[in-house]
Amino acid sequence: MTEPVMLTVNGIDYRVNVDMGRNLLSVLRNELGLTGTKEGCDDSECGACMVLLDGQPVNSCSYLALQAQGRSVTTVEGLTPADGLHPLQRSLLEQGGVQCGFCTPGIIMSARALLDRNPSPSEEEIRIGLSGNLCRCTGYAKILAAVAQTASDG
Amino acid sequence: MPLLTESKHFIRPDGPDKVTGSGRYVADISLTGMLTAKFLYAGVSHARITRLDISAARQVPGVFAVLTQEDVPERRFGSVADRTLFAKDVVRFEGEVIAAVAAVDAEAAQQGLDAVVFEYEPLPAVTDLEAAIADGAQLVHEGWADYEAADVERDGNIASFTSMIRGDVEAGMAEADHVVSSRYVSDASQPAPIEPRGVLAQWEGDRVTIWSSTQVPFQARDGVCETLDLPTNRVRVIVPHMGGGFGGKCGFHYEAHVAALARAARRPVRLVFSRQEEFIAPDRRREGMIIEITTGLRNDGTLTARRARVLLDNGAYSSDASFFPHMAAMQTLGPYKIDNIHVEASSIYTNRQPSGSVRAPTAPQACWALESHTDELAAAIGMDPVAFRQQNCVDTGETGVAGQVYDEIGLQDCIREAVSAIDYSQELDENEAIGVAVGWWPSFPGPSGAFVKIDSDGKGVITTGAQECGTGSVMTLPILAAVELGMEPEDFELVYQDTSAAPYDEGATGSQTILNNGRATVEAAQQIAVQLKSLAAEKLEASPDDIVLADGKAHVAGSPELAVSIADLAGVAAEGEMLLGKGSGTPPEYPSAVGVDCIGDRGLSGWVGPQFSCHAVKIRLDRETGVVRVLDVSAAHDSGVIINPIGASGQVEGGVLMGIGQALTERTVYSEDGAQENPAFLDYKLQTIADAPPIRVHFVEIFTPGVGPHGSKPIAEAPNVATAAAISNAITKLVGRPVAQLPMTAERVWGLMQGRGGG
Amino acid sequence: MSFMIAGSLEEALTALAAGARPVAGGTDLVVGARQGKAPLPTSLVAIDRLAELTQIEPTDGGIRIGASVTHARLLTDPTIVSDYTALADAAALVGSPSTRNVGTLGGNVMNASPAMDTGAPLMVLGAVAEVQSERGSRTVDLSDLWTGPGQTSAKVDELCVAIDLPSRPARSGSAYVRLEYRRAMEIAVVGAAASVTLADDGTISDGSVALSAVAPTIIEVDGVAELMAGHLPDAVGAAIAAAVAEAAEPISDLRASDSYRRHTVGVMAARAVDAAARRAAGEEISVPVNRAIGVGASR
Repeated sequence: MTEPVMLTVNGIDYRVNVDMGRNLLSVLRNELGLTGTKEGCDDSECGACMVLLDGQPVNSCSYLALQAQGRSVTTVEGLTPADGLHPLQRSLLEQGGVQCGFCTPGIIMSARALLDRNPSPSEEEIRIGLSGNLCRCTGYAKILAAVAQTASDG
Repeated sequence: MPLLTESKHFIRPDGPDKVTGSGRYVADISLTGMLTAKFLYAGVSHARITRLDISAARQVPGVFAVLTQEDVPERRFGSVADRTLFAKDVVRFEGEVIAAVAAVDAEAAQQGLDAVVFEYEPLPAVTDLEAAIADGAQLVHEGWADYEAADVERDGNIASFTSMIRGDVEAGMAEADHVVSSRYVSDASQPAPIEPRGVLAQWEGDRVTIWSSTQVPFQARDGVCETLDLPTNRVRVIVPHMGGGFGGKCGFHYEAHVAALARAARRPVRLVFSRQEEFIAPDRRREGMIIEITTGLRNDGTLTARRARVLLDNGAYSSDASFFPHMAAMQTLGPYKIDNIHVEASSIYTNRQPSGSVRAPTAPQACWALESHTDELAAAIGMDPVAFRQQNCVDTGETGVAGQVYDEIGLQDCIREAVSAIDYSQELDENEAIGVAVGWWPSFPGPSGAFVKIDSDGKGVITTGAQECGTGSVMTLPILAAVELGMEPEDFELVYQDTSAAPYDEGATGSQTILNNGRATVEAAQQIAVQLKSLAAEKLEASPDDIVLADGKAHVAGSPELAVSIADLAGVAAEGEMLLGKGSGTPPEYPSAVGVDCIGDRGLSGWVGPQFSCHAVKIRLDRETGVVRVLDVSAAHDSGVIINPIGASGQVEGGVLMGIGQALTERTVYSEDGAQENPAFLDYKLQTIADAPPIRVHFVEIFTPGVGPHGSKPIAEAPNVATAAAISNAITKLVGRPVAQLPMTAERVWGLMQGRGGG
Repeated sequence: MSFMIAGSLEEALTALAAGARPVAGGTDLVVGARQGKAPLPTSLVAIDRLAELTQIEPTDGGIRIGASVTHARLLTDPTIVSDYTALADAAALVGSPSTRNVGTLGGNVMNASPAMDTGAPLMVLGAVAEVQSERGSRTVDLSDLWTGPGQTSAKVDELCVAIDLPSRPARSGSAYVRLEYRRAMEIAVVGAAASVTLADDGTISDGSVALSAVAPTIIEVDGVAELMAGHLPDAVGAAIAAAVAEAAEPISDLRASDSYRRHTVGVMAARAVDAAARRAAGEEISVPVNRAIGVGASR
C-alpha cells in the first residue's frame, strides 16, 4: 500500500506515492531522479547517502521517506549553484580530495552542515563533523584540506 | 629531469561531474523497460546439490527470467578453469550463485528467488589450511586434475604452487651466528570500495551492451564472450564513473549473468549489489596467509640464508590467484641481499570466498611478516632496525634475492627520507614508538593501445582502454599527450569507457596505466607531433626537424616569433589529412633472474621497474586495553619520476590509510563452516577521517629508463605494501614481541601483553 | 499498512492503543527492516514532531528530558553537559553526526540494546522512564524496564515520553567511557559510566557504576558506593576494576572475547570513576571524556 506524500527537495515540492517502508534515499534516486545521493551500504555506516534535512545531515538510507513530509530536504544537486560550483565543490577539486567520487556527494553534504553551524572549525571539529563518511580512496588528507580551505576562504 | 607539472593544480576532468552529483555510476543509469536482477546464493559453504527446481519461480508474477547453469553454455573459467557461471552439482562457498532472477522490481525478484527450490546435502567444509593439505583431506574440487590451467603446479587441494631456490640454504644456515624462526598468520580482508558493484545489460538484436563497474572492461568482455559463446564484436562493455575498485572489481564477475538474464527476459536488466553481497559474493578478497620464515645471519648483520613456507587461502575458486604463490614468495624474500634462499608457497583451496587481486595482492600480509621478522633479526644482534635495513637492503647495482641486478633504484633514499621525515630519533613517551618497514612491488608490462586525434579547433581526444576507478588516468594521460604536443592537459578529453571504441587494454589492474597506457598514448601523440611539425614546416618555410611544439604553438627552433598556433594547423589538417595518431608500443621485457630455480614459475622473479618504499609510523599504545593509534606516518616512495603529483600523493595517502585499517581493524571473520560473520561496515571497520593520521609523502624521483614515460614507474599499489609492517614493528618496540597475527587487533595486542599469542 | 505523523501526544497514544508502533528517528527500525532482521511494523506513528517530547526542562527534583530529544542536543545542552556529563559523554560517542541528529534518547532507551551508550549513564544518574498510554502514566526504574536484549517491560501501547533525572548532589561528577577500536561510527565493545560525589576532604562519599555490553542488559554494579566511600579517588581504581570484572557476565562474539571484555570493562570503569571524580572536584574535562583524556582509541 502506498501513501501520497508531499516532499520538498531542493526547494521544489514533489507529490509522490510511496510505500510506508520506503527510505528517503530510494525515493530521491528512483522517484525524483536525483542520483547524486549514493547508496554504499544499508545501515548508516558509510555516509554516501547523506542529505540535509532542515539543514542537518541525515543518512537517507535509514530514514523513512514519509517522515520527511513537511521538512526541507537538500541533496548535492540542490547545493550546486546554477552556474559554477559551490566553494566546497571547488576546494575538493583543487585540493585533489576527489578520486572515485562515490563518497564525494555525502562528504559535501556533511561538510556543508558542519560549516553552516561552525564556520571556522578546528581540524578536530572537521574530523568529527565528517566522521560519518567513509572514503576508501584518499586517506582523507586532501578532503580535510579542502574543508579547511573552504572555511578559511569564508 | 624537471617535474612535468610542477605545482600546477590540474583539476581532474571528471571532477565537476562527480562533485555536483550529475555523474552517473552504473546504479544511476536506468533504461526503458529495465528489470531488476537478483541472485540466489548457496548460503552454505560446501554441499552437493540434490534438487534445483525453478519452475515455480518462473510463474511468479513480475518475473521475466530465471536462470541456472542449465541455461548457459557449459564453460569453465578462471586462471585455473575451475568455475562455472552458476553452481553445477556442488557448491563450494556461501556466495556462489545458484540462480538468477530478472523481474519488474526488487520485490518481485525476491519473490522469484523465494520460489526457487534448492535442496542440498552438506559436505564437510574445508577451512583449515594445514588440514587441507594433510593426507586424506576432503577435496574442495574432486575433479581438479581435469581442470585446464596453463603453467600452474597443482596437487589435491593445492590450487597453485611455486618454489624459489637459489644458492645453498643448508650451507648458508651453517655459516650463521644466529638462526631466527618466526610464524605469522594473517586473516583475510576485503577491498571494500564504497560503491557496491553494478551491471546493466541491454540487447539490440544480436549485440549486447553491458554497463559495468569493472576495473577491467576488456577482461569482462572476454569473460562474457567465453562463457556465453559470443564473438567480441557482439559484446560491448561500457564503464561509466566507477566508485573505487582496489582490485575488487578486477576480473570477470557478473557481466555474463546479467547479459544472459537480459537475453532471456528480452528486456534491459540491472544488477546492483547490496553491501552484504559486495562482501560475500565476489571472488576478490585479500587472502588469509600463514607465513613461516627462518633466516640465518651473522653477528655483523650479514644475511646468510632464508627458508620460508607460505600457505595462502585460495578460497573455493582460483579467479586470478594462481600467481599469488610466486608473488608471496618474492614478498617473503623482500628487497634484501641474500644469496641462499629456499621458499615454497602454496595457494590452497578452501570452502571460503575465493581470493583474488586486491591492491598489491599478497604484499601487505607477506611484507608485514617479513618486516616484523626483519626487526626480530636486528634485535637478535642488538642492531638498530633502520641501520640493519640500510646494511641489508639492495641498492643500485646490487643483486637481489632472485639474482636480478638492479639499475638505479632509490630504496636507500626512501629509508633515509622516511626516517628523517618522522624524526626517528625524537624523544618518545613510554607508550609511544616508531616502527619502520620497507616494501617493494613490481611493474607489470602488458599490451595497450591508444588513439589520439586533434580536431579542427585544436582540441584533442584520447581514446584508450584505460580505466578510471579513481586512480587518475583522466589526469595522467592528458598530461602525457599535452607534453608531447606542446599543449595543455585541459586541451584533451579522455574517452576510456568503451571496449568497442578503444583498443585493448588490461584496465586498472597492476598499477599498469602509466606504464602501458602511458606508452601507448605517448606513441599516438608522437605521430600527431610528426604531422603537426610537417604542417608547420610548410607554413613557416623551415625543416620539420627544426619545429618545436610548445605553448600551444609550433615554432622554429631558436626563433619563437616564427610560430603558428596548433589550432591553426589543426584547422588546415581538418580540411585534408586529419590529425590522427595511434599508439601501442612494445611492452618492456622482463629481465631474467639469474640463478634462481623456480617450480611453478609465473614470471615474477625478475621485475620490470621495481618500486620501492619505506614507511615509518609513530604509534601510541593504550597498555591497559591494547588499543593502538597511529599518530604520524611518513611514506617515501621510489616510483621513478612523478608525472601527476596530486594524483600520486593521493594514491600514497589512500594506500597508507588502507594499510592502517589492514594493520589494526580490518578483517573478515569466518565461522567454522566458512561463512562470513561480519559482512557489513559496522563490524568490518574501515578507518574514518577521525582516525586518519597526518601522512607525510615523499617521492624519491629517479629517472628510470625503460619503464613508464619520462622515467616514471607505477604508484597505485606500492603504498599499500609496508604500512602494516611498520605498525607491527612499532608495537613490538612497546610490547617486546611481534603480535604475529594480522590484523593486530586491540585484543590480540592485549593478549600478547598477557603472555598469550605472539610470535 | 498505515503511517501517521502524530500531531499530539493523545493522537500518538490512540494510535499505539490501536496497534501502531512508534517511530522517532527511525534509524534502528529502518536498518533492521532493510537488513531483514525485523520486518517493518504494519502500522507506524511518528512521534518526532511532538513538541512535548522534545523539551529538556527543569523539574522540582531535577530535570526532565523528552523522549524525542536527540543525541546531538544532549551533547550540547548546557545543563546536561555541566550536571549530567556522563550522558553528554555517551551522546557524543553515538554513531556519527548524522545518527546523533536523528537518534533519540527515548528510542535508545526503548530499543534496550545492551550495548547502548546512553543506558549506563542514565543508570548511574538515577534516571527513571516515564511511560504513558491511554490507560495512564507511570514511571519505571530502568533496571525494571530493561528485561533482556531488545526487550522491555513496557506494554505495547505504552510510549516512553520522558526520562527523569534527579538533581545532582553538590561536588558530584559523572563520566561515561567506552572501549572503541576506531574513533567514530563505533558500537561499544564495553562501556562504563560512573557517578562520584566527593566529601569536603576530597574523599569519595558516594558513587555508582553501570556497565554496557557485558550482560543481557545494562547493569549497575552492586556495592560500589561502599567500596569507594571514604577513599580518595586515586586509591579506588584497582578495587573498582576488580568489582566490575566480577559483576560482568560478558559473552564472546566477533567484537571481543568474554575474557577481554571482562578485563577492559574494569579498565573503563576505573577510568570513568577517575574522570567523574575529577569533574566532581571541579576539573573541566570536555565531552566526550574518551577524546578529552586520551582514553582507549583516542588520539
